[in-house]
Amino acid sequence: MKKFLALLLAVLMLGSILVACGGNDNKGGSSSSGGSGGSSDDGDPFHGEDNIKLLVWAADKAIDVTKELCDEFKAKYPDKKIDITVQVQGEGDAAAQVLNDPEAAADVFSFACDQLTRLMNRETLAPVFEKDDVVARNSEASVAAATVGDELYAFPETGDNGYYLVYDKSVVSDEDAKTLEGIFEACRKAGRKFVLDAGNGFFACLFPFTGGLSLEGIDEDGTQKFNDYDEEKIVDTLVAFSKLFHDYSDIFLSSEATKISTGMAANPRIVAAGVDGSWNAAAVADALGDDFGAAKLPTINVNGTDEQIVSMHGYKLIGVNNSSKFPEASQLLADFLTDEEAQLKRAEVLSWGPSNTNAVKDKAVTDNVALSAILDQSQYSVPQVNITDTFWSPMGTLGNDLWKKDQNRDQLKAEFEKTIANIKDE
Amino acid sequence: MIKSYKARRVLANTFIYILLGGLGLIWISPLAYLVMHSFRGGKAELATTIIPQEWTLDNYAKVFNPPDPNVINFPQWFLNTFIIAIFSCMISTLAVLMVSYAFSRLRFKARKPLINVGMILGMFPGFMTMIAIYYLMKAMGLISMPKVALIICYSAGAGLGYQISKGFFDTIPRALDEAATIDGATRNQIFWKIILPMSKPILVYTVLTSFIGPWTDFILAKIIVGAQGPEHYTVAIGLQKLVGQEYKAQHFREFLAGSVIVAVPITALFLFMQRYYVEGVTAGGVKG
Repeated sequence: MKKFLALLLAVLMLGSILVACGGNDNKGGSSSSGGSGGSSDDGDPFHGEDNIKLLVWAADKAIDVTKELCDEFKAKYPDKKIDITVQVQGEGDAAAQVLNDPEAAADVFSFACDQLTRLMNRETLAPVFEKDDVVARNSEASVAAATVGDELYAFPETGDNGYYLVYDKSVVSDEDAKTLEGIFEACRKAGRKFVLDAGNGFFACLFPFTGGLSLEGIDEDGTQKFNDYDEEKIVDTLVAFSKLFHDYSDIFLSSEATKISTGMAANPRIVAAGVDGSWNAAAVADALGDDFGAAKLPTINVNGTDEQIVSMHGYKLIGVNNSSKFPEASQLLADFLTDEEAQLKRAEVLSWGPSNTNAVKDKAVTDNVALSAILDQSQYSVPQVNITDTFWSPMGTLGNDLWKKDQNRDQLKAEFEKTIANIKDE
Repeated sequence: MIKSYKARRVLANTFIYILLGGLGLIWISPLAYLVMHSFRGGKAELATTIIPQEWTLDNYAKVFNPPDPNVINFPQWFLNTFIIAIFSCMISTLAVLMVSYAFSRLRFKARKPLINVGMILGMFPGFMTMIAIYYLMKAMGLISMPKVALIICYSAGAGLGYQISKGFFDTIPRALDEAATIDGATRNQIFWKIILPMSKPILVYTVLTSFIGPWTDFILAKIIVGAQGPEHYTVAIGLQKLVGQEYKAQHFREFLAGSVIVAVPITALFLFMQRYYVEGVTAGGVKG
């Protein structure tokens, strides 16, 4: 009796899962075939789709802008019946929600580019149908961040999801801000802290990146691939960072990035400079007022030469759900939401840095100190794409050990090799 | 060696009280931090000192009257959670007590097997079935009505938590039931008029647990509501969002204020029901 009931319940549950998944597969298949079939040119950009109902996910800050853009989109095609619902969904959470249930997820959604691999693995993203224009109008790195293999899988939306240097101009002069040594010296004079989240893999990877390490995607069995790097040079760079952190241990503070805006808003100010994420720019600017300074990351002196610090740089992308019932309309909308005009609008209203090569040169962007600093830094960066989950934690450990432990060159070399081995999961 | 008994006792007590005091301090400090810093003013979002230097009610004002409802819509979250918790609480309290009564008082063939099945099913951790629950709710078309879906999720299986109240009912003498039966009461009347009035402590306990469960639940609520807009969030999901990387630097104090407010209904409910709790316990004790 007991067994029978338990069995019955188990079968019922399994059945419901299988039914739900099966439905999902069918839809995914039919919509993608519909997409490729519809690409025969009949003059209608929607390829016959009408009575269109779309769901769009956007970040809460961007919701009003997105609604306006969607209204413009509807106005652009007055002969079509288009119904667009815009819903708030955090970009950090988008992939998890889409993967949770692609059918219930939005047709068009915004997400951070580090989620691309996860979304791709489950085939939840539809490739961009008309990619030539998208590739041409966006920066090369942002396109690379949305590309897997030869296919472009999402439309670049912003180009500023990274970190940069913020400083208090009353302590650190613009000249000081050019080198890490200069910043540390200025901070020491004022008795104020420099904050860098060295234990966080997102920031910590700048140490080996500065020495020439770079990412080359993921191979078939899911292992992280690196470029052909010069290990000695990387170790030299690590030694330089470690030495600097120990020499200035009184002012160097490894703490999460929110500490920067907080420490600058405190009375008296505790923090003078730091490496902060673009998402905190408003809070820092608010705390510092007229003293707000922002620039690309400084250089560091490695064996007598000043090396530019290389960061990890992310992009926000807009993707089209593979399960969408209106693939053509979704593609058109995603394209519209990421074109030059839309990106400019975001730059003006939200201070989000564009990935569009023309929009970057606009006054709204160049006049914004934080934005230009981030975009400036993006030239010296590794795009945050095709990264395995095993990347972050070993990088964070490496970063932490640089300032926590007092290691000589050989120990640091061993530590770096261990980090790479751990990332590759060897 | 200390000979005097009194001196030894004082020494032992001092040691014990210091230890307990220390543990108490550790336990209370996060709560004290939470309450204190929810009133913190000034420009810094995160704490720079242990004791706030400026005090304000602004954080609470911002929580109740959010400047941007797309980011924080606390009144709506609060209302959602309240509705869900009230309904789940009513349904599951009723279910738990009725199931317990049936298992405690009625004798029927499937009683033992059902008790066992209930025990076994109760041993599976709830989050194991969560994905299945999501797809079941979706198949019923309830995902677009997350409040209804959540009420169903929280109260549908509630009857399985019958063990404690069944144990309590078992201690009430069956002679009372028999006396009532002789006077012409039905099973239903016995439950409502004899057993329930004598079971106030367990009633209070059941109400409290079945209210707090939905009120504080995060994982299941996140799965069911996650794909919906913030107007459908519960307080747990909404507050968790506020400590995410994107929001922490700007909304940390609102998060603290919100967390304090979340505790208010539970505390109020407990204070209100506490007198019945104590009364019931002592009344039960006298009767043995």
